[in-house]
Amino acid sequence: MPDIWMRIRELFRGARLDGELDEEVGLHLQMMEEEFRRRGMSETEAMAAARREFGGVAHSKEAYRDQRGFPWLESFGKDVRYALRGLRRSPGFAAAAVVSLALGIGANTAIFSLFHTLMLRMLPVAHPEQLVAIHRTGGWGRGVISLPLYRQIAGRADLFNGVIATNGVAKVRFSPRRGGREEFAQQEFVSGNYFQVLGIQPVIGRLFTGEDNRVPGGRPLAVLSYDLWQNQFGADPAVLGSTVVVDEQTLTVIGVAAPGFQGVAPERHTDVWVPLMMTHFGQVMSPNMWWLMPLARVRPDVPIQRVRAALDVLMQQHLRTIYGERYDSAMRKKALDQRLEIREGSVGLSMLREHFGKPLGVLLALVALVLLAACINVANLLLARGAARQKEIAMRLSLGATRARLVRLALTETLLIAAAGSAAGIGLAAWGVRAISGFLPEVAGNPFSSAPDLAVLAFTIAISAASALLFGLGPALRSTAINPALGLRSSGLDRSGSPVLRRVLVVAQVAFSVVLVALAGLFGHSLLALRSVDLGFRNQSVIAFNLDFPRLWKGDFHRPQEQLMKTLAETPGIYSVSCAFPGLFGGGSSDSTIRVPGSQRTATEPADVDQTYVSPRYFETVGAGLRGREFDRNDTAASPKVAVVNEAFVREFLRGEAHPEARWLSFDDSKPEGGERTSIVGVVRDIRQDGIQQKIAPRVYVPLTQKALDLPPDILVRTALSPAAVRAVVLRELPKLGAGIAVTQWGTVRQRIDDSIFETRLLATLGGFFGVLALLLAAVGLYGVMSYGMAKRAGEIGIRMALGARRADVVGMVLGDALLLVAGGLILGFPLAWAAARAVHSLLFGIDAVDPLAFGGTGAVLIAVALGAAFLPAHRAASIDPMRALRHE
Amino acid sequence: MSTREAKTDILQGTLDLMVLRTLATMGAQHGFGLAQRIQQISGGALDLNQGTLYPALLRLEHRGWIRSRWGVSDNNRRAKFYEITAAGRRQVEKESEGWARTVAIMDRFERLTETE
Repeated sequence: MPDIWMRIRELFRGARLDGELDEEVGLHLQMMEEEFRRRGMSETEAMAAARREFGGVAHSKEAYRDQRGFPWLESFGKDVRYALRGLRRSPGFAAAAVVSLALGIGANTAIFSLFHTLMLRMLPVAHPEQLVAIHRTGGWGRGVISLPLYRQIAGRADLFNGVIATNGVAKVRFSPRRGGREEFAQQEFVSGNYFQVLGIQPVIGRLFTGEDNRVPGGRPLAVLSYDLWQNQFGADPAVLGSTVVVDEQTLTVIGVAAPGFQGVAPERHTDVWVPLMMTHFGQVMSPNMWWLMPLARVRPDVPIQRVRAALDVLMQQHLRTIYGERYDSAMRKKALDQRLEIREGSVGLSMLREHFGKPLGVLLALVALVLLAACINVANLLLARGAARQKEIAMRLSLGATRARLVRLALTETLLIAAAGSAAGIGLAAWGVRAISGFLPEVAGNPFSSAPDLAVLAFTIAISAASALLFGLGPALRSTAINPALGLRSSGLDRSGSPVLRRVLVVAQVAFSVVLVALAGLFGHSLLALRSVDLGFRNQSVIAFNLDFPRLWKGDFHRPQEQLMKTLAETPGIYSVSCAFPGLFGGGSSDSTIRVPGSQRTATEPADVDQTYVSPRYFETVGAGLRGREFDRNDTAASPKVAVVNEAFVREFLRGEAHPEARWLSFDDSKPEGGERTSIVGVVRDIRQDGIQQKIAPRVYVPLTQKALDLPPDILVRTALSPAAVRAVVLRELPKLGAGIAVTQWGTVRQRIDDSIFETRLLATLGGFFGVLALLLAAVGLYGVMSYGMAKRAGEIGIRMALGARRADVVGMVLGDALLLVAGGLILGFPLAWAAARAVHSLLFGIDAVDPLAFGGTGAVLIAVALGAAFLPAHRAASIDPMRALRHE
Repeated sequence: MSTREAKTDILQGTLDLMVLRTLATMGAQHGFGLAQRIQQISGGALDLNQGTLYPALLRLEHRGWIRSRWGVSDNNRRAKFYEITAAGRRQVEKESEGWARTVAIMDRFERLTETE
């Protein structure tokens, strides 16, 4: 240890230590001289004798200095300085190499950091590797289970060392004290054993136990996250026992969880944990209420197959007791088809992973290709550079430098390029992650705001080092493998640098570009296909939003809602205002069972149809074609019941009837002929309102005035005004409506549609970006090889022209050469692209994996790029003056 | 000339032990003093290039066996003094034992040649 410190000190105080050594040696010599003079020598004799006895002064000092500090570091430093000088001399080369690498490394770092967060990062809990997620498949909903089913699973101590349940993380109103300023916080309802099973300790106070989660509404308690405690409560221990208001419930704080623990969802960070039994979802004990996500700690002695088999049995028994005798046969079959699936749990529970995991995997593969292409590009540049420096290298070899030393010098240069490239790449990655996060809908959470991760940094350094070796070692070995004598003698004409190797590299580069461009084409075409789906309504620029009422809101929400709609409707520049539930692309669903007298379909059993509650002018507002009439002011609670149905409804129940808008249906499904009549007054086009890829199903629209809706519908505004102007009006009116009302889900319907296809948009955008990048790299590579090739063949071309070859012949020759390289790349690349397309098939919409447009386009684009890259060299070749070229020869 | 021929080159690695042993018995020394002592003790039989002393001193200091500080010499001149550390003393003991063993072994071989 003292050694290290001493050496580090020596490293920084070299000049001063040199002075001290001089002084020390000087004194030594002086003392020796004095000694010799005492023995009777003359002054000059004494000086000479002292020098003789001491030995070589300079040599001693050098030996001393060589030992000081870190000798290898200093020689490395010398190499670095040399390499830097070399790079400064060719800034074009340095910039091209660093930019290529920065793009490759940046893209990889950005995508990997997303991939790592969502797919790889282990939860910061005890033994995360023992955790599995239990996911319900088939049936309804997205994997969640009911409380009774959870209790059955959690009771299986023969399989698990504890099973926890959470209902996910939701943004809710939060205030640190009763009556305090309201903010938002992320709330998670959890089972009583949550912290204990995960092995999380409290910083202060205590965490939940099973006792805290016995009876609905029993224990209004809260555990705070460490971050919330730090930021909102200044880490004050007095927070224990105080009350906070979370989603309008007053809860007592009993503890603060250990730092770093933020719940079990990678894309969301929980601020407050509350016992499951405090939810206000209503029927928490019902077996039909699906709302919990379980995470189980498998006993280490139980093989996973046994867990799987046991869960299959448990699930079937559970489903039979619930659905055994009741419900119609179709519904029962659907219900009994459900299974419990075991999934990886060490990385937490993520909704986002379901949609985004596969696209991220594809992106990771794409950026790996980009990096490979970038490495090839740099290798190509290095080869050219090595060839240009042949004379210098030959000189050094003949002056006695070893080859190993020269390889080390060359590698130092590549290391510098890699270091600069990765530093710039990390900057690019930060920007890229922000750009990609912009594609995520707000409801998806934001997994990517977290600080740079060590694993990500390690990944970046690893790929940078691997790239440096990949692109650096070959050229370093190649350019130093020269016979010094020949190298010195060569006339300088042979400067193309391993022409065959360089051509092979360019072909590989073209092949990678083919894959990237073809995939970009596929994703782009897929996005176009999605965009061109007829959604059944025209006005996508309609503004949609929702009023969020305090849960303890007294009285109904219709009055404030209507008041706001009236104000908006009277605002100049607003054409129409309407409202609906479920809104367009707003999530939520509603259905109803009906009878349609005269239809075979409902003769024996009632039918289940989708349902939308709307106010007057809804179809006008969204721009949907309608036969018959819309609802209007005259459709009141007292007037005859009316409905509008969609075309799918007509196809299903009233097929072939001339006047479906003159028929009626009944929401009273007790008898085949129905009860109270609801007249169908209009038939509207099929509107895809939940998703572009949604299957069209029969749907009934009912007026809000005639059927009760117990939650606020979406408000829709068709306007010439900007969204900001409309928002200003809404925010101005808001306080007049009542205290605590907030605006949520604000945006145009087009934004909502964009959010619903964010994976495809992201793939198309990034795929396109990477495709263009690959094309640029390929173009640079082609250009380099073509122009060096031309320079080498200048003499030959001169002879051809002297012998009567025309300009066009020369241009054709060069372009033909470029096309040959591209042809090679296409032949290699197309099978690869085809395999890649097959792999991403499930992410494509409305097109084949072997999409003629994407593949044909790829070929055309690459040929165009090749011709473009070869044009300048061809032009130069054709402008060769035969006389000069020949004289040069 | 005859004396010169009788002088011995310093065996690799033995200079370290000589320096340590000298410092252990004589206390803190500056470079010249140390060189003088080593010459004296060897009875002038060593061909010591005094310059080589300094890299050796730095090496020993890196290993933590000696430490140096600037002080004032007998005739009031600023000089760098070297002294042995506790670790250095332990090292002397260890190396002395090893050296004694080597000498004993070599001695036996010498006697072998004598008896033949």
